[in-house]
Amino acid sequence: MKKLEIFDPAMCCSTGVCGPSIDPELMRIATTINALKEKGIVIKRHGLSTEPQDFVSNKTINALLQKDGVDILPATLLDGEVVKTKAYPTNEELSQWLEVKMASESPWKANSSCCGPKGCC
Amino acid sequence: MKSYHNGWKSKWQANHHGKQTVHVVGRKGVVNMKAVTYETFGLEKLLLTKYLFFTGKGGVGKTSTACAVAVSLADSGKKVLLISTDPASNLQDVFNTELDGKGVAIAGVTGLMVANLNPEAAARQYRESVVAPYRGKLPQSVIENMEEQLSGSCTVEIAAFDQFSNFITDAKTQLLYDHIIFDTAPTGHTLRMLQLPSAWSDFISESTHGASCLGQLSGLEDKKNIYKEAVLNLADKTKTTLVLVSRPETTPLLEAERSSIELSDLGINNQILIINGVLSAASDEVSQKLLDKQQNALTTMPDGLGKLGIFLIPLRSYNILGLENIRAFFKGDDYVQTASYAKPLGLQGLDVLIEDIYQTGKKVIFTMGKGGVGKTTIAASIALALSQKGLKVHLTSTDPADHLKYSIEGAPLITLSKIDEKQELLNYQNEVLSKARERMNEEDVAYVEEDLRSPCTQEIAVFRAFAEIVDKAQNEVVIIDTAPTGHTLLLLDSTQSYHKEVQRTKGETPLSVQRLLPRLRDVGQTEVIIVTLPEATPVFEAERLREDLSRAGIHNKWWVVNQCLSMTNTQNPLLIARATAEYQWLEKVKKISQGNVVALPWLENASIENINLTCKGEK
Repeated sequence: MKKLEIFDPAMCCSTGVCGPSIDPELMRIATTINALKEKGIVIKRHGLSTEPQDFVSNKTINALLQKDGVDILPATLLDGEVVKTKAYPTNEELSQWLEVKMASESPWKANSSCCGPKGCC
Repeated sequence: MKSYHNGWKSKWQANHHGKQTVHVVGRKGVVNMKAVTYETFGLEKLLLTKYLFFTGKGGVGKTSTACAVAVSLADSGKKVLLISTDPASNLQDVFNTELDGKGVAIAGVTGLMVANLNPEAAARQYRESVVAPYRGKLPQSVIENMEEQLSGSCTVEIAAFDQFSNFITDAKTQLLYDHIIFDTAPTGHTLRMLQLPSAWSDFISESTHGASCLGQLSGLEDKKNIYKEAVLNLADKTKTTLVLVSRPETTPLLEAERSSIELSDLGINNQILIINGVLSAASDEVSQKLLDKQQNALTTMPDGLGKLGIFLIPLRSYNILGLENIRAFFKGDDYVQTASYAKPLGLQGLDVLIEDIYQTGKKVIFTMGKGGVGKTTIAASIALALSQKGLKVHLTSTDPADHLKYSIEGAPLITLSKIDEKQELLNYQNEVLSKARERMNEEDVAYVEEDLRSPCTQEIAVFRAFAEIVDKAQNEVVIIDTAPTGHTLLLLDSTQSYHKEVQRTKGETPLSVQRLLPRLRDVGQTEVIIVTLPEATPVFEAERLREDLSRAGIHNKWWVVNQCLSMTNTQNPLLIARATAEYQWLEKVKKISQGNVVALPWLENASIENINLTCKGEK
């Protein structure tokens, strides 16, 4: 199975509800990863404030950070290769990379006028 | 004036107590009440458990009492550790010694160590311990991102209570000292701190997807046992005594009852009540009024307190600063009797301050200061006066002990609101969940719900409510009667660290939150009024508050010195001694504030109406 890892910026909790505002993107990715876990697919998340050592030990992430700084986060690695930076993977990307069937549209987007990190449509 | 005053008083008593006032005249040396006589406090009357907690509303004399108990115990040959958990602690002033978080020996008292738990410093130390190993290994922008995240109120709160739990459970500390005495922050803060150990251990137990929120204090899960033990120790009456301290006044007594109940709910049942500052005899009009007021508060004391052991400490002529006064506190008073005193001159009345706010058109007005200094009444008086000038006013309080609704309900142009922490948490949780339900399945909602149960979420909820209220200043004057100092500082600190986070976040940040800090820092929009008393401790604390505010980039102009006995005509020797001692503090405040100071006389009934009627200042 493919190995997917996400490197998060420093934040309080995985859903962001204990941050200053509700970020739908954070909620989406947290619940999507949770749903995948139910299917037996584990996506490892590394938190900058909780596991900073991971950001030093992983040469790829470390090089990325040294070059572009913290704004490059969140970053996604597929089998050790950088596949996405500055935003979380979409559900389509996840299903493509992990070769699993997923709702192409996130349930988050259904009733929302905003469609994810790119803003409102 | 006088008849109005008395008429108001009896009306109030009929309305709020539904029973007739029993007037009891105190005789020299004896305090009589409706069939109850309370004993004067002495160390031999205290149940000497290992842990002693002193709590109560700000300004009631917790620190004085805790210090006097600590020094007396040490003088009797015991090994004593005295710890303040108040972010605005003044133990260093009392002992005139620089303190730290671990404990400092006090010169002149064998066997006494004194420590100041400083949550901000604890959080700083923690932050540094996390970040330091990565300096140089990760780029600067990454380090800064970590530091910002570790600066939030969540970290401050966890670090503070972590330090506190260690003191109640550390085996070495237990062996080293016969008694460990906690001088705690004003009530709300203490309740929260004592509740936190169970809140966090419940949260850790119930969390299924890893307590991510706790992640920022690495290894916190291992500490679950420490928190459990802390809760057990607090509930063990052979180990812990809770000493509620109050003044012989209605509001602090009500608050003492409320904490008594809430702490019983936490299992802390071994409680006593000390009433500090009781006048035993009167010899002129002012002292008679003070005596009547105190006796009235004592005879109408809340029922819940009647069950506790109750002790009195007489009103002293001196402030509890320095070892000599600490040692005298339970013993007596040998003030020099003088027949009169010179009244302070050149003090302005509240009308000058109100006119200044009106003329400058400021929209956000805070009253800040230690608890018990009269912030609420001052805030309400200003609200009333501005509304009488035709301004629309919103008056709000984060102080759980507020009594605004008794004083100001029904005034035209004034709306009242209150930040109730529990209610705000509920509102925030409901808001997030209803948004989540629109788009998520049940499982996902449950996942979000779990993070919402984290104790940090309460801070966020209160913070957002605070921002919402300040944002009302678009259309009206907003007057905020804040909670006691420590809590206010945490709120403002979160304002600052959240503001940074807000600038980065991609979430749906409410406009009110985005606008908060810039508005608070705008001298043209915001006025912070520091309220204090003409006494050592409140003035020292107010001075520190001002420094903290200026660090946060928030400007302060006006000061109010409340309840000045030196502005009355007292002939009572004890009160004259106290009045004389007020000068140096009035002078100090004049200097700090560069003359922007309002002084109010001690009033038997410091109602909004009386303040506005009588305080036109001395021209």
